[in-house]
Amino acid sequence: MPKELLFVIGSLAHWIGWVVLAMGIYHLVRAISAGRESRAAWPLRRAALTGLSAIGLFALAHVFTGGGKGVALPLAWPDMHPLGWVVLICAVAAASHGTGAFTGITPEERRRRGMSALVSLGVGALCVAWIMVFKHPFRWLTGWMTLTAPTLGFIIAVTLGTTAVMGWVARSAESHDRARRFLTQVVLFVGAVVFMLPLAWLLVTSVKEDRDIASTEGLVWIPLRTQTVPYMDPKNPVFEGQYQGKTVTAVRDAGAPGGKHLYRITRPMYVSGYTFEATPDQMKQVPSEAPLVTLTDGDLKLTGMVVEDLPDGRRRVSILTPNERKGEVKVVSRAEVEPVRTPGMRWENYRDSLEFLPPEANNGLVYLKNTLILVVLSVLGTVLSCSVVAYGFSRLKFPGREMLFKVLLATMMLPAAVTLLPTFLIYRQLGWIDTLLPLWVPTFFASAFNVFLLRSFFQQIPFELEDAAKIDGCTYLKTFWSVLLPQVKPALTVVAIWTFLGAWNNFMGPLIYINSQENMPIAYALQLFQGQRAGEPGLLMAFTTLSVAPVLALFAFSQRYFIEGVTLSGLGGR
Amino acid sequence: MRFARALWGLGLAMLASLTMATERTPIVVWGLAPGPDSKGVDAVVREFERRNPQYQVKLLSMGAGEMNPQKLLTSIVGGVPPDIIRQDRFTLSDWASRGAFMPLDDLIERDRGKDPLTPTPDQYYPAAWEEAQYEGKIYGIPTEADDRIMYYNKAVFREKAADLRAAGLDPDRPPRTWSEVLAYSKVLTEKNPDGTLKRAGWVPNFGNTWLYLFAFQNNAQFMSPDGRTCTLNSPEAVEALDFMVKGYELLGGYDNANRFTSGFVGAENDPFNLGKVVMKVDGDWILNNMSRYAPDLDFGVAPPPVPDDRFYKRGRFADEKDTFITWIGGFSYAIPAGAKNAEGAWAFIKFSCSLEGRMLETRAQRNWDISRGRDFIPRIKAHRETNVQSYAEFKPAVPAFAAALKMHVDMSEFGRVRPPTFVGQILWDEHVRAIEFASRKEKTPAEALQDGQRVVQRELDAHYRYDSLPTADLKLPMFFGLGLLLVGAGLGYARIRRMPMGRMGRYETAWGYILISPWLIGFLIFTLGPMLASLVFSFTQYNVLSEARWVGLDNYRLLVGEERDNVLKAFGNVLYLAGIGVPLGLLTGLAIALLLNRASMGIRTYRAIYYLPSILPVIATATLWGWIMNPDAAKGLINFAWSNTLQPWLGVNPPGWLTVAEWSKPGLIVMGLWGAGGGMILWLAGLKGISPTLYEAASIDGASPNRQFFGITLPMLSPILLFNSVMGVIGAMQEFDRVYVFRGTTGSAGPSDSLLTPVLHLFVNGFNYFKMGFASALAWLVFLVILVLTLAQLRLSKKFVYNEVAD
Repeated sequence: MPKELLFVIGSLAHWIGWVVLAMGIYHLVRAISAGRESRAAWPLRRAALTGLSAIGLFALAHVFTGGGKGVALPLAWPDMHPLGWVVLICAVAAASHGTGAFTGITPEERRRRGMSALVSLGVGALCVAWIMVFKHPFRWLTGWMTLTAPTLGFIIAVTLGTTAVMGWVARSAESHDRARRFLTQVVLFVGAVVFMLPLAWLLVTSVKEDRDIASTEGLVWIPLRTQTVPYMDPKNPVFEGQYQGKTVTAVRDAGAPGGKHLYRITRPMYVSGYTFEATPDQMKQVPSEAPLVTLTDGDLKLTGMVVEDLPDGRRRVSILTPNERKGEVKVVSRAEVEPVRTPGMRWENYRDSLEFLPPEANNGLVYLKNTLILVVLSVLGTVLSCSVVAYGFSRLKFPGREMLFKVLLATMMLPAAVTLLPTFLIYRQLGWIDTLLPLWVPTFFASAFNVFLLRSFFQQIPFELEDAAKIDGCTYLKTFWSVLLPQVKPALTVVAIWTFLGAWNNFMGPLIYINSQENMPIAYALQLFQGQRAGEPGLLMAFTTLSVAPVLALFAFSQRYFIEGVTLSGLGGR
Repeated sequence: MRFARALWGLGLAMLASLTMATERTPIVVWGLAPGPDSKGVDAVVREFERRNPQYQVKLLSMGAGEMNPQKLLTSIVGGVPPDIIRQDRFTLSDWASRGAFMPLDDLIERDRGKDPLTPTPDQYYPAAWEEAQYEGKIYGIPTEADDRIMYYNKAVFREKAADLRAAGLDPDRPPRTWSEVLAYSKVLTEKNPDGTLKRAGWVPNFGNTWLYLFAFQNNAQFMSPDGRTCTLNSPEAVEALDFMVKGYELLGGYDNANRFTSGFVGAENDPFNLGKVVMKVDGDWILNNMSRYAPDLDFGVAPPPVPDDRFYKRGRFADEKDTFITWIGGFSYAIPAGAKNAEGAWAFIKFSCSLEGRMLETRAQRNWDISRGRDFIPRIKAHRETNVQSYAEFKPAVPAFAAALKMHVDMSEFGRVRPPTFVGQILWDEHVRAIEFASRKEKTPAEALQDGQRVVQRELDAHYRYDSLPTADLKLPMFFGLGLLLVGAGLGYARIRRMPMGRMGRYETAWGYILISPWLIGFLIFTLGPMLASLVFSFTQYNVLSEARWVGLDNYRLLVGEERDNVLKAFGNVLYLAGIGVPLGLLTGLAIALLLNRASMGIRTYRAIYYLPSILPVIATATLWGWIMNPDAAKGLINFAWSNTLQPWLGVNPPGWLTVAEWSKPGLIVMGLWGAGGGMILWLAGLKGISPTLYEAASIDGASPNRQFFGITLPMLSPILLFNSVMGVIGAMQEFDRVYVFRGTTGSAGPSDSLLTPVLHLFVNGFNYFKMGFASALAWLVFLVILVLTLAQLRLSKKFVYNEVAD
């Protein structure tokens, strides 16, 4: 017989041995846990029998696999392709179902078993085909794992654990149910982790240093910060002073007449590069941040700070430790030094991302202002107009009402694309291009879906209330305002929240109508930021986080309304 | 609503803090990106403001202007254009033909002799100046002049000296003619046993040549002198393309060559700098990166090789004056029509384009770069004297770089430019397509260029036909519609008047109409009116800037005729999204809802977690997922997970997601699944609404859980299924935001248009090209398709949807 075949037989025997051993343990557990009075002799005997056969199988395996390797486990799964396992399982299933097909009692049962045998066979064949087509390096059931005490302990622990769980689950319907619930929780938890991963990644990336983002060794989940030490640079001093009423950081550029100096601003970003004149006593030197690095000198490990980056790419490092060499300055190439990095977050990404915005954006506040104007006016407009119109459609009787309402329903089907171009021309005629007007004015003219939703809520209010108000001599508007509106508050909240989200997320509108920074809302600014700073994901993710933060905050405060809102609008919409 | 009040307060506080008064007249400039490293531009702006204190220059970048024609055109059409736009020169005519830019001749004439800063043609390279002209008028002042020269790796030439000599070639000089380039490339190219490239001698379109350079060398013209006929398919151009195809043949085909060159990512891995591509023709913009990443590279420069006949002055080149020529491109400053501060704009252009302004810019940029420890090599400007001075002042220390800069400056005198025509952009796009088709051997060079020519010619014909078309007076249909409306309203009013109604009834009717008037007015202005207008537009040719002309059914004919491929592609893409993405989304939502419905604890928390992603702004989600789906496993979250699980288990390599045509739509779908929580909430509400007695009854009857699901749960959920799927399909058909973010900057919508959607196509045609007529026809097609799909779903649902209460 070929050696490989012998090995396969030996491995199989070995593995079956493990399974039989597990069965033996299972029987043993059952025999013990079955209670004193029902402890029959035969499960024990069964356990002993299976245990013995397992030992026999092990011995067989040892002989067949050539032995001689000490206590070793012919192992497949860390080594074998998972598809191999699928093939094996399919083969076993096909065999058992296939035999079952002949022993089935009813023809129906036989047919079913035959079908599942065929399905298993098919799946197995597909897997084999996959392996052949993709030429995956493949070995059947080979590979050894030396059986050390920890591995053995682990295997035994897993076997015992699963056996115990299986025994417990099988004991009663109640525990079966509990196991099911546990499984549900596990799946839900895993799903929730998957759903939160992108957000977690967003947050982590937004505080990463460039070095971590550019890392070629896989994703970095724990951001590291380069350590710096404050350093009063005598050569390139950094100053802090006032420029147009703002505190800025600057470096000295050149002398200027009148005992003044020319200073070039380095921070904040939007005025960086600007120069201004100041007398030395107006400026205060502040320490610059010198990165901390380690380097080796022979066998000695040194720590130092980079005091200067030389034009040729080398760095001047001032030694800090060990103490006896403190103050010594070495010039080394970039490759020789390794920055000292500890887990930490680079919050400066947030500041930088805002400082990179054009000065008109005033650190992004302008975007926020525009978005808030848009959101507030849109919500106001939608809630007011839609509730008034819905009131008209639901509580008043007038000729033409049904026909007009059908028209309203029909407009819900109309894609915005059809009216996109002509409405642009209308706003152009009005001179509203590059203003926020085209984005919020239409909300004051009621939207079909919201009217439809609110109308169904108005209709549920009993007419008695209104009649009472009428008798009291209330006008329609007064009835609407003080009697009906309070009744549909939850629905109004829903409409308000949806309008808020719609206005906050609106992208196409600003894309068409807004040109200048002064009028830009956040969603559009984010897209432009993305186009411009795609190379700096740290900043991009920081800006993205800032743009979603208000939505997240709103969600945190009013989660209930959000979820009720979907439910109400969705079920109302059927 | 305490929250809303807080928001108001915040908004008001911000408003107050933002009222900063500026007395100076602003000059709004688009297309100059102010960044931390653009110190040259900053210096010019500050010096200009110092000299002209009445002006304030506002540089707006962030995508506005420059390469975003949509923004520029909407701003011009909307009457709020910038004062200056920095524009690629070859597109100037395109804009000028539509009257979008101001001719500058009068300004030049007025200031010539009075203001020493005034630009005059003699200061500029003739080619650059010519390119900025359209129909004899100058529309922009050229800024850069990027010409192309040949770079070759001397070290590799030496290494291969013996082989070159054996082939009868001189290893001490670069090739001068086309046949020499091919001969050198043949010797220098090395292949791996499996046919892939180890080193490429010369890759025709690697660097920056396109077909234009070679065609110019072969004396090809792309347009007839009168500008009415496109001659993209002239025999000279065909010869040039044939030469490129031969170059690719030597490398084992176009795809083989591209796979090789695109394997080197990032400026620091440029294959030429690494000696992997031995010869290339490229522009002067590469010098700064070369000096940064390969300062020691042993390379030489030469004029780009020319056709053999041209070099030896034979045949039709016998009387040719210039042996070597090059192709010049670059940017220019233009003033859009209707600019509010044209005078200030002109003053800024004059200053920044003058020798003084240019040198100030170069010097400031150099000082900055040197202070950051970088080398500085000045860029070639269109202003001739600037190059001479900056070469004298900032000559690179390394001889090879100095020689390269010198060669670029010298060759600028022999530049040729793309023809100034209003179809410049289309001509460019089509010529790119022709290169691809021919190099891939899908068409012969002649066929490929012929097909491209046809497209360009169609555009030309449409333009010249315009004048012969009947004018479409849009007021007429407008008044007609208005009249019809008034008649309708009058009739309605009369009918209501005639109805037998009491005083209260009339009062109620009046109030009813008053109450619904916001919707009624909105409907007329924002829905009905635009719908009819859009219908009228669809029968016209209308670009907003000039008056509309009737074209009958031509736009619809285009939809099913020449534009059919694009339209089919767009609808195919959204059908893919709707057909696969929507069901997958529904299933995911349902699965989560079923699990949640079964869970005993933590429902609220889980619900919030699963729901949260669906309310995040689409743009933020798209930005985030753009990174999550980064094909690089060390950067993208998904491929990181993939390469650690599926790759070792199943042997499937992680896909390229948004960078590959086959995977870009699956990418969108996966991203959409993240938002499946929105539907989940509905499913959950539906599940909670199913009476438990139904299940109890079923279990007593012995129904298995599977039977219960298909027999009770699903039918009871069918109304929600209908609602979710109708909304999902409508949403997918109108996909826009995400594809707009993902489409990239190349102009095509995703790799090989795989992300082209009908609404994106409509948007591009409507707002990039202002083809209002065609876009309107497309809009109606979108409407019809959505209508049909929705009705089909509703009809199907009659069969399957369970309705508790029969109406």
